[in-house]
Amino acid sequence: MIFALILGFLLLVIGLYGMLTQKNLIKIVIGFSIVDTGTHIIIVSIGYLRGKTAPILDGAVDLANAAKQVVDPIPSALVLTAIVIGLAVTALMLSFVIKLYQKNKSLSIDDYQELKW
Amino acid sequence: MVNPIYILILFLAAGFLLTLIDKGGRKLSLTVFYGILSFNVFVIGEWFYQLTFLDASTLIINTAGFSAPLSINLQLGIQESFVLLFANLTALLSGIYLFKKFKETHISGLILYLIMIMGVNSLVMTRDLFNMFVFLEIVSISTFALITLTETRKSLSAGFKYMIAGGIASTFFLLGVTFVYYFTGNLNLEFIHLSNFTNLGLISVFLLAIAVFIELKPFPANGWALDVYEAVDSGIVSVIAVVNSAAIFFVFYKIMPLLPQNFLNIFGIAGVVTFFFSNLMGLKQKNAKRLLGYSSIGQIGLLVASLIFTMHSPNSLIYLIVGGFFVNHLIAKAGLFWIAGIVKKENLKDWNVLKNNKPLLVLFGVLLFALSGFPPFAGFWAKWEFIKILVHGKMFFVIGAVLLGSLFEVIFLFRWFTLSIKSDEKAENKEFSLEFSKIFPTTIFAGITILISVIIMKFFYGFNWLHALPILAVLVLHVLDFLPSKIKGFLSLAAVLAYGYFLYPFESNIQLFFGVIFILGSAINIISTLNREGKSEGFYGLLLMMIFSFGNLIIATTYLEFFLSWEFMTISSFLLILRGKKAQKASLMYLIFSTAGAYLLMVGFSFAPDLISNSALILSITNVHLPIISIIMLAIGFMIKSGSLGVHIWLPEAHAEAESDVSPFISAILLKAGVFGLLMIAISYIKNTPSLDIFYWIGWIGVLTAIVGAFLASFQEDAKRLLAYSSMSQVGYIIASIAILSHLGWLSAMYLSFNHMMFKSALFIAIAGIYYRTHTRTMYEMGGLIKKMPLSFISVLILIIAVSGVPPLSGFGSKWLVYSAFITKGWYLQAGVLFFASAVSFLYLYRLIHTIFLGQLKYEHQEVKEAPLWFIIPQYIFIIGIMAFSMFPNLIIQPLNSIAMRYFDSSIIIDGYTISSSLGYWNGNMIMMVTMGVFIVPLIFLILFNGKMQKVKQFNIVYAAERPESPQTTHVAHNMYAHYRKALGGWGKPRIWNFWHESSEWSHSLAGFFRQLYTGNGQTYILHIIIYIVVIYFILGV
Repeated sequence: MIFALILGFLLLVIGLYGMLTQKNLIKIVIGFSIVDTGTHIIIVSIGYLRGKTAPILDGAVDLANAAKQVVDPIPSALVLTAIVIGLAVTALMLSFVIKLYQKNKSLSIDDYQELKW
Repeated sequence: MVNPIYILILFLAAGFLLTLIDKGGRKLSLTVFYGILSFNVFVIGEWFYQLTFLDASTLIINTAGFSAPLSINLQLGIQESFVLLFANLTALLSGIYLFKKFKETHISGLILYLIMIMGVNSLVMTRDLFNMFVFLEIVSISTFALITLTETRKSLSAGFKYMIAGGIASTFFLLGVTFVYYFTGNLNLEFIHLSNFTNLGLISVFLLAIAVFIELKPFPANGWALDVYEAVDSGIVSVIAVVNSAAIFFVFYKIMPLLPQNFLNIFGIAGVVTFFFSNLMGLKQKNAKRLLGYSSIGQIGLLVASLIFTMHSPNSLIYLIVGGFFVNHLIAKAGLFWIAGIVKKENLKDWNVLKNNKPLLVLFGVLLFALSGFPPFAGFWAKWEFIKILVHGKMFFVIGAVLLGSLFEVIFLFRWFTLSIKSDEKAENKEFSLEFSKIFPTTIFAGITILISVIIMKFFYGFNWLHALPILAVLVLHVLDFLPSKIKGFLSLAAVLAYGYFLYPFESNIQLFFGVIFILGSAINIISTLNREGKSEGFYGLLLMMIFSFGNLIIATTYLEFFLSWEFMTISSFLLILRGKKAQKASLMYLIFSTAGAYLLMVGFSFAPDLISNSALILSITNVHLPIISIIMLAIGFMIKSGSLGVHIWLPEAHAEAESDVSPFISAILLKAGVFGLLMIAISYIKNTPSLDIFYWIGWIGVLTAIVGAFLASFQEDAKRLLAYSSMSQVGYIIASIAILSHLGWLSAMYLSFNHMMFKSALFIAIAGIYYRTHTRTMYEMGGLIKKMPLSFISVLILIIAVSGVPPLSGFGSKWLVYSAFITKGWYLQAGVLFFASAVSFLYLYRLIHTIFLGQLKYEHQEVKEAPLWFIIPQYIFIIGIMAFSMFPNLIIQPLNSIAMRYFDSSIIIDGYTISSSLGYWNGNMIMMVTMGVFIVPLIFLILFNGKMQKVKQFNIVYAAERPESPQTTHVAHNMYAHYRKALGGWGKPRIWNFWHESSEWSHSLAGFFRQLYTGNGQTYILHIIIYIVVIYFILGV
């Protein structure tokens, strides 16, 4: 579905913009999370077919013509995995932020530049 | 054979169970941990063995009871097992390296480590794109978490940047996977083909490829990786740099079939660009681990480039090149990161703590040589074959970038190496702790890299023990290192003589001639090393390595054999020079110039057509038509080694700073290797003359080298530098004579080479003896040594007569031949310049003998004795040789004549002792007799009739030009030829030295400029990545 696809890319760009412009570490992580969400929406959108039902083989689906009646189940399966992974990455990022804050009492990314060149 | 799926299952099970097992104590959980890692290596090792040697077929593992594409499948073929074997081995050894950490840390550290390695294994084996994404994330997440094993401010901030960058890359990967599915309806690599994609669909492939490529840290989107390399614990970094990179590299390899050729070319070029720039920026780096980071990033770039540019070559070559670069990088980099963790010094200058730890220093050296692509290590062979393929593909920019990048790498790696050995910084005497768990993995890896070298040499190229002799010599003498120096010296002498005897039957006359210079000359020079006290650890091994590689040069039958021996020679001579007390800069400069020369040779040989016969290269080259580009490259390469004008600046430093008994080898023999090479290409040239008259220009370079060298020699205060410049000047004569390309020219070139070998050896040994007694090389600090060291005086006197080319000694004969050759050729101007150079050489020769032996004896030298016997013996052997050949010149002229007649019609007539050319004749024997008569008759007269001789003691003539206690600098010997220098005016400026100095400054400033990209700001790094993706996107024009 084209609307969802555009929305997904929009979110992705917004997220990237946030990551690039926000100095606060937590906000950067939020930006990353938005990028992630955008990606997930894109994945779902490419599997969606208008007017078809969920890919669950119960009474609502005629077994013989199942392939023609349901949306593509693969992207849905992929997105579930991707969401889980995204969650793990976000959590780990946040724990890094916490550790950094505990050590240095600063949440600005500009304060972590001593490694360079 | 164990199904590899059990590896993954075992890892996962252990991941869950370790927490429980840990309740039984850390010992138990560590046992399980290492057990699993070892099991893994064992299983994969067995598979590798089966697949490689028993031709087992590639294993496809389906999961969940369905075959692909309905389910995920894994594949284990030769490539997979090869990558996994080394990845798992590194993981195991890194695990051992981290033993202490794992003992103390929370159990989650062990679990994360296992999960990470499982991720790597699956990443390599899986054929499913989405599965790849999942395992990519599993590897990344566990790596991020492992970074916190050392919780410092630096490692945390580096880790955060890494996570952000990795997150962006994997987002793009996921998008790529999604769109590949969208366009092809499939996720399994077996079922997706390039032809499935429409033009629009290529975007999906692009996203996939660029995401993996970003993970491979391309320049300039790689700042985050550098920070990680610098800040994170060595054990973990070695896994990140090696194991993870290997897996991601393999992912790139797997998706390559999806990419159209123009994509691949761009990625290949991006790889080369990465290699070039990261090595350039490495020049400025002072932090050890960050330096390794730059090198790692570069190597991965090279790896990608080699994979792409060799795609269409035969399989065995691809294995050698890509496999070679892969293993080389993996082993050397992991090993060096481990060593960096053992030494625990950030600044390169503090690494001189290594000086006191020989075994570790040896490991460090082995890994550095391996990393820089020196033989016999895998990187050397890979580079040789890679360049050959690039030359055939006419990819000249790539060649330039690869070789220049490699040169930069050699520079910064060996600056590090020389600093570790010779840094002036005060070494803190704080011993760093050597834990077995940390030394063990490093040693194993150094061992494996040597083993791989053996395998490549023996099984791929079919080299025999003779080619490996230089290395064997080092190893054998290393075992014998406990013996006193003298015994090792005699053993070496015997070994060299035996080697010469062994080579003798293989040699044609031209080979025999160079055999005499290289082997017999070396053997006599070894005598002077017998003066060494103590054990001289490592010295004789390197010396033998150098001598054997000289010998192997003359019997080499292929370009590769020649180049191999050439590189062995470079390594050994570099290490020998490095032994000098203040030789850090000198040896580094020597290595840089030699490496640059070697790269030129490599390219030159790659351009050369294949050899037909399998006789020695110097003979078979006759039938080879070298293209002009090849001749130019080879000529420059050889002239660098022989110290020609423009590329000579390494020469005085190396000669002067080497230990005094090493200098004779460097000057008298090593320089002749360049002469040998130049003669070799000249032989090809005369039989197949191309249109460009290149040897005319080489001739001029030789002539100018002769004159400039002579002037520079005259202005030196240091005796060894004086002799060094003199060598440069003399080799200039030789090169100019070769360039004449006539019978007379080559005859005189060889005659000069032979003479130069004898008198320059003897002169350097004489100076070695004087230095041994007076502890100074500065000539104006000496004086009046004639009484104290009469034997040395007589020797130097005879030798400078020989060098200067006045009758009666052999130097005259060679000069006479040279001028005849030039005049016959019609090169009058050149002959004139050479004649002038000969006149200038009187200046420095006079200075040498006058300043050292004549004048007033210095107060501090009152008690000086004659040079030790071991220095006197070889000098007089050479002098006897010079006398004999002066008296009976046909002894040498006759064989040289027959050598030159192989290539040209003879232009001289030898009749008894008389040698006639079209310009006149020379009778060495008669000249000798006459001259002796001229000297001996007055001497006898004086002795008989001048009875009232009064010997003047030193203090009878207090005011003879100098009061003994007055400052030496007021004496004429100091800055002796200042007036000539003044007369030279602007010509006296060290222009060439300045040029190289400026080049070095410029490349360092350039490095400094580029590396400002890496601001340290995480957001900038994200921006780099995004811009990089966009730029590559537009270049590809998807």
